[in-house]
Amino acid sequence: MRLPDSVTGSFLVALGAAAAYGGWILPPVPGQPVGPNVFPLVIGTGLALCGLAIVFGIGHSFEEEEELVPLEDGQAAAPPPQGKLYGLRALLPPLLLLFYVVAADRLGFIITAAIMVYVTSTALGAKWKLALPLAALSPFAIHLIFGKLLRVPLPAGLLPTPW
Amino acid sequence: MLKTLLDAFALISTWEVIIAMFAASVYGLVIGSLPGLSATMATALLVPVTFYLSPIAAIATIVAASSMAIFSGDIPGALLRIPGTPASAAYADEAYAMTRKGQAELALGAGVWFSAVGGIAGVLSLMILAPPLAEIALSFSTFEYFWLALLGLMCATLVARSSPVKAIAGMFIGLLVSCIGIENPGGVPRFTFGLTDLFGGIEPIPALVGVFAVAQVMRAMLTPEPPPLPRRKFGSIMAGQWRLTKKYHWQMTRGNIVGIIIGVLPGAGADMAAWVSYAMSKRFSKEPEKFGTGHVEGLVEAGASNNASIASGWVPSLLFGIPGDTIAAIAIGVLYMKGLNPGPTLFTEKASSMYAIYLMFIIANIMMIPLGIAMIRVAAYILLAPRAAIMPVIMLCCAVGSFAIGNNMFGVVTVATFGVIGYVMEANGYPVAAMVLGIVMGTMVEQAFVTSLIKSDGSILPFFERPIAAILAAMAIGALLWPVMVWIWRKVKQPQAAAATSR
Repeated sequence: MRLPDSVTGSFLVALGAAAAYGGWILPPVPGQPVGPNVFPLVIGTGLALCGLAIVFGIGHSFEEEEELVPLEDGQAAAPPPQGKLYGLRALLPPLLLLFYVVAADRLGFIITAAIMVYVTSTALGAKWKLALPLAALSPFAIHLIFGKLLRVPLPAGLLPTPW
Repeated sequence: MLKTLLDAFALISTWEVIIAMFAASVYGLVIGSLPGLSATMATALLVPVTFYLSPIAAIATIVAASSMAIFSGDIPGALLRIPGTPASAAYADEAYAMTRKGQAELALGAGVWFSAVGGIAGVLSLMILAPPLAEIALSFSTFEYFWLALLGLMCATLVARSSPVKAIAGMFIGLLVSCIGIENPGGVPRFTFGLTDLFGGIEPIPALVGVFAVAQVMRAMLTPEPPPLPRRKFGSIMAGQWRLTKKYHWQMTRGNIVGIIIGVLPGAGADMAAWVSYAMSKRFSKEPEKFGTGHVEGLVEAGASNNASIASGWVPSLLFGIPGDTIAAIAIGVLYMKGLNPGPTLFTEKASSMYAIYLMFIIANIMMIPLGIAMIRVAAYILLAPRAAIMPVIMLCCAVGSFAIGNNMFGVVTVATFGVIGYVMEANGYPVAAMVLGIVMGTMVEQAFVTSLIKSDGSILPFFERPIAAILAAMAIGALLWPVMVWIWRKVKQPQAAAATSR
């Protein structure tokens, strides 16, 4: 997802302009010169200016290459992309969270959570020997901590917990 | 004086208080170490329990849980690069880099040791410096708050290891997110696009969980499993801490003082203290180039600072009923409920209760050392588990934790959205920490800014007229112009250097 600075910068200019415009059209407080419109106006302008600066490459010289998690030589050389769809794997976690939102109330926490754990674990390369027990046990552990001890009302759904 | 102290001892040396403190400490350590559950949330979840306790035991649980949770937020930050609390977000990268270098025990040991020292320094400030400092803070008007908040935001650009322009852009995005909702000067729905779920605004905690935890899982999906860290036992956690204390005693003292000052100021708590101290540490360090590559100096100062602010955050709460931070705000509620109404009279009429609170803070911070070491030893096993086993559980914690904040599913949607935003920002060199800071402080900045504008009737001059405001303004503008000046300086210097080499 590494985009050129000109693309992200232009996006910020657009976002800033939209925010400033959105602030501008907000109804003012009667009899008051400043209201809810001022702050978005200032923020939007600032964001647009930052975006312009990024498009023109100002401050680029300060950037340091990410070296927090240096990969070993052998793995850095290995070609990670396997087809065009490989990059879309990154979208799996947010999609699973949305699946939780949609399904949790109907299927219940335990079943939804087990599916999430199994899919995530398999996507990260786990064999079924690890993924299956993990999917079977971790929802109960989480339910014990959050549902039982912290009293978070987790949906029971089709499969209520024994406690 | 001596009799009051003895009375205070008698108050806290009951089984109820001792058990309550111990249980709350373990609870705080566990909650703080779970990514996405902040120290504030740990404290808030305790309030129903305090209904059943005596006043002193009730306050004991809050004191113990909040101190422990702020420390244990460092643990997942250091081991997984997922800060457990917003306060430890400031130096999670640094601590994680130390773990990669095989110095996890030094990083976590520094966390527990300097947190305990910082906490005790905070208590001393609560006892000695409290009244005069609180008076100064009380005389602050919105102008001072505005500049103070701006200065806090500027810290984001100093902490970041990337282009300052991108850091400022990230901060603006965060401020923009904080604009969402109806909590604005006019009370009109702003940027809600007609969605009722957005009326309440974006909570900082789901946003934080999204950009740190979910984005981390997303990155894991695309990167091959990193080579396993060398399997070796954790060395002694406390070894070397005394050497660090002697080497960095000035940084530690500065962290304590900054933490105390920030804690006393209303609205600015441990989160801001950690950010400011880490930035200061980098700025004044003799070896700033080592920051971000696993250098312990910033951890010392920020760790000393955020725990100091926890104790000093109680100063305005106890004296005037103005919370120093969100945790203190919850504590005030409990104080009222238990008949210990905050106010100057608390120091005269219920002096023994006051001393009991001081003593409990000191005991909590001493208890933190053995309990913290035990917690680190347990948590270290996370390092041995394969990534495919940890990440799914983190995903579950994200979903459930974000649901628990408001008991509605919109929190989970927020987490997913901010996961994507955080992932894209990080991949393009925009520091996400700057955005988080913007979200956390946005409402306070806007309130201070708009109220000041209304008071000054559109004029800019009153922003600089008061002496403290003028000093803070000078600092904030200096921090804003710093990257510009460095850039110009480099531009001027480069041709000269080129000319010098060609000659």
